[in-house]
This record gives sequence, structure tokens and C-alpha cells, in this order.
Amino acid sequence: MNGRARLRRFLFVCIAALYVISVPWYRSSSAPVEIVLGLPDWVTVAIGCYVLVACLNSAAWLLQETPQDAPQKVAAEAASEASGKNP
Amino acid sequence: MSFGELGAVALGIYLLILATVAGIARRSRRDESPSDHFLAGRDLGVFVLFLTLYATAYSGNSLLGYPGRAYQAGFSFVMSTGFMMAIIVVFHMIAPKLRLLADTEGFVTPGDWVRHRFAGEGASRVLSIAIGILMVIALANFLLAQLQAMGTITGRVTDGLVPHAAGVIGLALMILFYESLGGMRAVAWTDSGQGLLMLFGLAGLFSWLMSDAGGLANVTTRVMEVRPEAVAVPDAQTCANWFSTVALLGFGSVLYPQAIQRIFAARSPQVLKRSFALMTFMPLTTTLVVTLIGIAAIARIDPAAGVASDEVMPWLLAEWAAGGGLRMFAAILVFLGALAAIMSTADSCLLSLGSLAAGDILGRPRGDAATTRLGKWIAAGILFAMVPFAIQGDLTLWRLIELKMELLIQCVPAFLVALHWRGLRAAPTLAGLALGTAIAAAGTLAGWKTVLGIHVGMIGLVFNLLISVGFSLRAVRRGSASS
Repeated sequence: MNGRARLRRFLFVCIAALYVISVPWYRSSSAPVEIVLGLPDWVTVAIGCYVLVACLNSAAWLLQETPQDAPQKVAAEAASEASGKNP
Repeated sequence: MSFGELGAVALGIYLLILATVAGIARRSRRDESPSDHFLAGRDLGVFVLFLTLYATAYSGNSLLGYPGRAYQAGFSFVMSTGFMMAIIVVFHMIAPKLRLLADTEGFVTPGDWVRHRFAGEGASRVLSIAIGILMVIALANFLLAQLQAMGTITGRVTDGLVPHAAGVIGLALMILFYESLGGMRAVAWTDSGQGLLMLFGLAGLFSWLMSDAGGLANVTTRVMEVRPEAVAVPDAQTCANWFSTVALLGFGSVLYPQAIQRIFAARSPQVLKRSFALMTFMPLTTTLVVTLIGIAAIARIDPAAGVASDEVMPWLLAEWAAGGGLRMFAAILVFLGALAAIMSTADSCLLSLGSLAAGDILGRPRGDAATTRLGKWIAAGILFAMVPFAIQGDLTLWRLIELKMELLIQCVPAFLVALHWRGLRAAPTLAGLALGTAIAAAGTLAGWKTVLGIHVGMIGLVFNLLISVGFSLRAVRRGSASS
């Protein structure tokens, strides 16, 4: 696995963690709610997580390898995909 | 000039522009092949691809259904931003590999992938037809939601000058006209304009709502006073439903046939990845904005007024327009933006319906001009079969979204698993698909939308995966033992 692929994998782990944090399952439903940045605190946390997800996901897309980035590697993957369609 | 008259004139101008674009798209076609009609000759660039993906993803559901749902559910509907973003995350699992294969194998419909992937297996053809039927049902459902919303918006923007039924029929005819004339090219070009109109319209409405209420903190404080449960931390069942909805819509939406066909229609993989890199930010500028608009409505609309959830957005726009002058003009632009979003989704559904029915279900050859013609006729037939249901319109838009996702998500093994695991076999995938669909359909018919907050479609998917992966593993082990 090259550096680009490793970085993308790390970004996906971070995105998954942010999704887990975005849902307030760890808070009691009777807990008092404060207003932070104009919104209930748990909503601000959720939106903050989604802003970060957007940034990380955008980076993950830009790091995606295409035939223009790595023509030989991607062509080999495509060939292997086509030949291995019937295991 | 009254609001209704101004709305009718603006609607007329908008429809005229659509017809002109369709004519230009018609002149730009290269041939009569399904690839040119249904995929615009696989030549969509970053800007058009991004806007057509955007306008297709954000539909009547987003603009009418989501504010209504936020108005009902309160702040917990901020989950919608999460699930719309999850779609672009899940696309990593499908778009790059499928795009590469579509280039080399010349795919036009989702069924082309299924037949290619499971070629040589006895159940391949039946699996492809079953997936085609499931996708056609989901698309027809989606189309119904758009037609229903078109009628609502037309009635509102013209203040009743064009009644609901006439709006549904007239705009359905218009979509059919430009879609059959210009194909994907007309759809993508009109989507681009429609996407921009929607973006600016929403920004205008949101700014007015916030400035009128004295800022976001005032809106939240007012909601706390009138409906404290809308602000409270969600309970365990709502949190479970939040996770379930993110998974249901994240995985289900990447299997929209029209989304898959846009992957095929991109000019190059570079164009595709750049479009998705931009798309990932759009839930923040659209879904979050419509959610906050729905929340602001809690503070503005008297519960005694009995406003139905899908009527929340039109109610707010009517109030905005009542200010007269520039506000009235801006409200009409938002109405048109909403109509544009709805029509852009409906036209994409219609285009995919035609290609799916002709190619995947009837098995017509994908390079044949007769397939294109047959696809257009079938799409027209389905469209007009939906019109009476849309005129009747007794399901909420949010429920229509959930219903179609519960069906679409059963295609996950045939696409997401099959792309990444060569061991998956056609017969177990078909058996899993049948079981998952049966569970989702039975749950829906029995009135069990969710079990402890989890959608029945997600429960169906778990059984679907157990059957398709479990029996494929057994087949692989038997194969390796015999060799």
C-alpha cells in the first residue's frame, strides 16, 4: 500500500469516528441543553463533526488514484478485475 | 401585478428556457445510440457533472420534505446533513471501480454491471432482471414523490391560477418533452441551471428567516419556549434511528440508477473525483439550510394553524412574499428554485426508468437505436401511470423517501460487495435479495416502519447479507475443496 492509499485509509477511519461522535448516544436525554454558537450544544457538536467529515472526505476524493495519476497500476487493477470476474 | 400572476409569468418564462435548452441539446447529439441519449456520449465535464449530481440529489424531498420533517422532529433532524454527506462517503466504495469498468466494458445501465460481474452463472440473467425491477419500482416511487411536489409548488407559485392537477399533468408533459428530445444532455444542462437557482433561492430564504428572527440563537430560544422536546437531547431510540437513517440513505442512495448512470456519463475518472470532492460540501449549504428553515418554522407557525409537514416550506414562502416588492419577487425565485430541483430529479428518474426497463428488464441490446426509442416509450407510460397517484397524493414526501430506500438498499450485495469480493455468487445474491426485499415489504405492509428505531429495510439487508455472503462462502469453499 502506498502513502496515498494509507492516508486515505486513515481519513476513512477519522470519518467513521466523526459519525459515531455526531450522534449524541453518549448523553442522557434529560441532560440540560446549553446554546452554543446559536444552537443546542449537541447540535453544534453534530454540525462540527459534519463540517470535518466534508473536509476529510473531499481530501479523500482528491487523493483517489485515477488512470491519469498512476496509469500502469490502475490498468493492472482493471485487467485483474475483468479477468477475475468469475472465481 | 398580483403574486399569482407574477408567478404564472415567471413559470412560463422558465418553461420556455427549458424548451430552448432541450432544442440545443437535440442539435448537439452525435447519434441515436442509447449511450448518447442516456449518458450524453460519456462527455460530462466537472462543472456540469457536479451541478447535475447536485440537482439530482437535492429534489422535491429535500426542499419540501426535509423542512417539513425538521418542523415535526425538531433539531434531531440535523441527521439529514449526516446522511446526505454519507452518500458521498459511500460513493468511494462504488464509483472509482465501477467507472473504470464502465469505460472498458461500455456499461449504460446498472444491469450491465450485474451481467458482466456474474457472467457465466445460471442465475445471472434472473438477478439482473430482479435488480432492474426493484430499481424501476424505487424510481417510480421517487418519480411519484416529484410529481406530487410539482403539483403542490405550481399551485402555490401561481396562487391557485394553475391548480394542483394541471400542474402535475402540464409539468409531466414538459419533462417528457425535453427528456425525450435532448436525453441526458438536456437533463444535465437544465440540471445545471436548476441547481444554481435552488442554491441562490435557499440562501435568500434562509437570510430572511434569520434576520427577521434576530439571529439563530433567538430562533433556538423561541423553539425552546414553544416546543422544548424539539431541542432536548434525543433519546436512545432516536439515536438508533439516526444511525439507521445515515446507513439506509448513505448505502441506498449510491444505488440510485440515475446516480450510477452519472458515474458512467463522466468524461473521465479525474472529472468524477473532482465533482465528488465538491459535492461533499453541498449538504452543508443545502440540507443543513433546509433543516434550519424547518426549525425556524417551529418558532413562526402557530401549532393551532394545523400546517401539514409538506406545506411548511410553501407556508413560509407565502409569508415572505406577503411583504410585497422585492420579497415577493425573491419568494417566486425560491418557488421556481424548488420547482427546478423537483423537475431535475424527475427528469433524471424518467431517463433512468427508460434505459432500465428497455435494457435490464427486457434485455434489449445496448448499442441499438431501437432500445433508445423503446426506453422513451416505456418512460412515458410509467410517467402517465403515476400521474393519477400524484394528483391524489396522500403519502408524505419523507415516507416516500424511506420506502424507496428500503427497497434500493437490498441491492448492496450485488454492487458494493460484488465490486470488492470476487467470491460472491449470483444464486445466493438473488436469494438474499429476495429475502431482504420480502422482509422490507412485509414490514412496510404490516405498518412496522422501524423496530427499536432501526428501519425494516436495514433489518432486511442484514438477512440479505447473511444469505448472499454465507452461501457464497460455502460455494467458494466447496469449489476449492473439489479442485
